[in-house]
Amino acid sequence: MMSWRREAVAAWAFALRNLQMASRNVFLLFELLFWPVLGVVQIGLMGRFLTLKPEDALFILIGQMAFSIVSTCQLDVAYSVLYDYWSKSLKHHFLAPIGIRHLTVGSWVVGILRGLLVFVMTAALAWWAFRLNPLAAGIGPVLLLLTGCFLTAWIVGIFVCSLLMLFGGRAETSAWASINLVLALAGIYYPLSTLPGWAAAMGAAIPITYFLEAYRSHFGFAVESAAPLTTGFALAIAYIGLAHLTLHASVNRARRTGLLLKMSE
Amino acid sequence: MLAIDARNVAKTFRAGVIRRRETPALRGVSLAVERGRIFGLLGPNGAGKTTLLSILATLLTPDRGDVYVLGVDVLRAPHLARRRLNMASGNASFLWNLRAPEILGFYGRLYGLSGAALSRRVEELIAVAELAPHRRVPYNELSTGLKQRLALAKSLLNDPELLFLDEPTLGLDPDVSVRLRRYIASLRRERGMTIVLTTHYMREAEELCDEIAFIKGGQILARGTADELKRQILLGDVVALRFDRPAPVRLDRLPGVVRVSERDGWVECTVDVAAKRLPELLRVLNAEGVVIRDLQVREPDLEEVFVELAR
Repeated sequence: MMSWRREAVAAWAFALRNLQMASRNVFLLFELLFWPVLGVVQIGLMGRFLTLKPEDALFILIGQMAFSIVSTCQLDVAYSVLYDYWSKSLKHHFLAPIGIRHLTVGSWVVGILRGLLVFVMTAALAWWAFRLNPLAAGIGPVLLLLTGCFLTAWIVGIFVCSLLMLFGGRAETSAWASINLVLALAGIYYPLSTLPGWAAAMGAAIPITYFLEAYRSHFGFAVESAAPLTTGFALAIAYIGLAHLTLHASVNRARRTGLLLKMSE
Repeated sequence: MLAIDARNVAKTFRAGVIRRRETPALRGVSLAVERGRIFGLLGPNGAGKTTLLSILATLLTPDRGDVYVLGVDVLRAPHLARRRLNMASGNASFLWNLRAPEILGFYGRLYGLSGAALSRRVEELIAVAELAPHRRVPYNELSTGLKQRLALAKSLLNDPELLFLDEPTLGLDPDVSVRLRRYIASLRRERGMTIVLTTHYMREAEELCDEIAFIKGGQILARGTADELKRQILLGDVVALRFDRPAPVRLDRLPGVVRVSERDGWVECTVDVAAKRLPELLRVLNAEGVVIRDLQVREPDLEEVFVELAR
């Protein structure tokens, strides 16, 4: 029988481990500080140079902030496998009586914390340096946007873990590359309608597309889909299930092919 | 009661997409291990020892065969077996900048330990593995011996009924190996733990194991106690001699002498029956005027059995 305490303890193990690793890795500071801050500064300066209206600058800025939050959060999920791949200790996880869910939930919790930190920092910087207020829509819409970002990050992170379990080190770059592709298709700096038909169709299948659209509507931008939040949540729930099934199947395959052992040698 | 009951287990590793390469690792291995025993798996590199251990520990899925571990069908319900078993290997590795208590804490939580119970268990194992003076040192700064002790400590977190040890003393100093072997023996003696270990050190196998199986080419060639194996292989007896100068006669041409080799200044003649061949051996050497400084008659050791089987 499932014990909730046992479930929570196993997930907390991954969360605590990600926190311990993050606290001792100077490069993780770059993920938190350097790229998100640089992104806001670039967007702010570009807005000044092009003399963009505040709402147009906000359109791009919100995209940039979402990008930073999703990237940071999904990396934490990917780290749940990457750390062990790098240290060749992966087999110890799968020798223990845990499920895929413990690994993904625990690391996601830390991703959410780091994503929130990025959000607060970039929002404060945007206001202080450029007088752009991405929180102007109010707390409710902000929370919904953040939820969309974190759900998307979870999905991408789990798919990256699946790729690692399927292809080993050859898939390592997907941890950084995949999110760029996903967010480019999701209309991060532009409405979906500006994309070519095939790309727009792909973008329409990505949950964050709808959360961005819903949030931007509070700044006067047109909504292209009928019920963006409902669609976004429905897609996210479906992908979360699919991503977990994919990772489960990938781990089973790694046990079959021996890749799990190879990645631990 | 059997701790392990594996029947007809086969595994072939496949690689390559265009040029498909197949490497058979196990070819229908069957193995039964009683509870509370220390069982050794010996064999040359690539024999299939680690593959078999990994299948039994649920890290690898076999192509065919039935595997029951502690009464659990591990192909159907591996998670049930995982709670009750654990594994340590000589080349184990953990996250580079975590410290021993953090590593043990992490894996302890995966086995459901938390709060005071987890802290107590971690401290117990740190004491057992003599890691207390190194508790603040990051993993990648620990010596090989300390890393191996930590790996063993990690494998005891869930107080397993069945413990797999893959070359546990690989690369360790002799004094550390001796202490580790004593500890492994105490696990069986005091806790009744079943232990399956692979090793390249014959002395280790002879000292620790109640029973030994020799694997080669993915098949078990022989199994039994160390003494039974020596009898099964029919190596005969070893007459070890030390001379004042190289022997002028070809001892291997004498009747009943199976093999002659040199080791640490001793000439070792493996003969079919020492009692029968020794008088003739001494007579020939005496006739040649060779002075014998030392003479020993003994049974062949496990290493010689290993060499014979691996041949």
